[in-house]
Amino acid sequence: MKKFWRCYVCNDIHYGVKPPEICPTCAVKNAYVLISAREAKTICGAPAEADFSKDDFLTAIQKFTEDNEFMVNPDRAKVDLLFDGIFSNERNHGLKYCPCRLMCKELEEDLKIVCPCNFQIHETYKGLDKGECWCGLFIKRSKTSEVNP
Amino acid sequence: MKKHVMFHGRECPHCKAMMPLVDRLEKETGLSIERLEVWHDEKNADLMRSYRPIFTPKCGGQLRVPTFFNTETNDAICGEVEYEKLKDWATK
Repeated sequence: MKKFWRCYVCNDIHYGVKPPEICPTCAVKNAYVLISAREAKTICGAPAEADFSKDDFLTAIQKFTEDNEFMVNPDRAKVDLLFDGIFSNERNHGLKYCPCRLMCKELEEDLKIVCPCNFQIHETYKGLDKGECWCGLFIKRSKTSEVNP
Repeated sequence: MKKHVMFHGRECPHCKAMMPLVDRLEKETGLSIERLEVWHDEKNADLMRSYRPIFTPKCGGQLRVPTFFNTETNDAICGEVEYEKLKDWATK
């Protein structure tokens, strides 16, 4: 079962079955200690005033795709519509849920539809030349792919 | 609830793309498709969740929109599909 871990040096938070051996932020070895979900939530919510805009999210997912075989869909209208849904879902339901699926109100299952999800295992992506995530926000790169929007 | 239902999301591009096809289907067949939005209407979301055992085996193990559901036959299809496939679902 996944739990929360905190680096005692720099307060990085890790969510997983076991902690990283080396903290990716401060590079200290064996630095993680088990903490409660409440502590993790408080620590992660510390910079609560910091806004995370749609532009921030776009930059984040573009960075995320840079070294991957997929990219952000160059169809800006589609991306804008999806972002409206993703941010609306975060406001109304707590997390950036995919607008093309629906929460089932079981956290473990619902975490699977938080954007970006693990779409590479989906039938709309896996093994396809022109694969894409279910909603179409991420598409597989081809030799003629456009650059990210 | 009507016999034919479309569960959809307001900000889902696939749902948006399917709307003109649903309009065409209604016009050509005389059928009426009840459109239920699920991200901004909890009652509709709960209704869709109540069909989870029927929908998920046909929709990649998840609740996905759009999902087209025949309440009499329990036949469901999900995603952006060709018009003929939609028509087949509706006229079975």
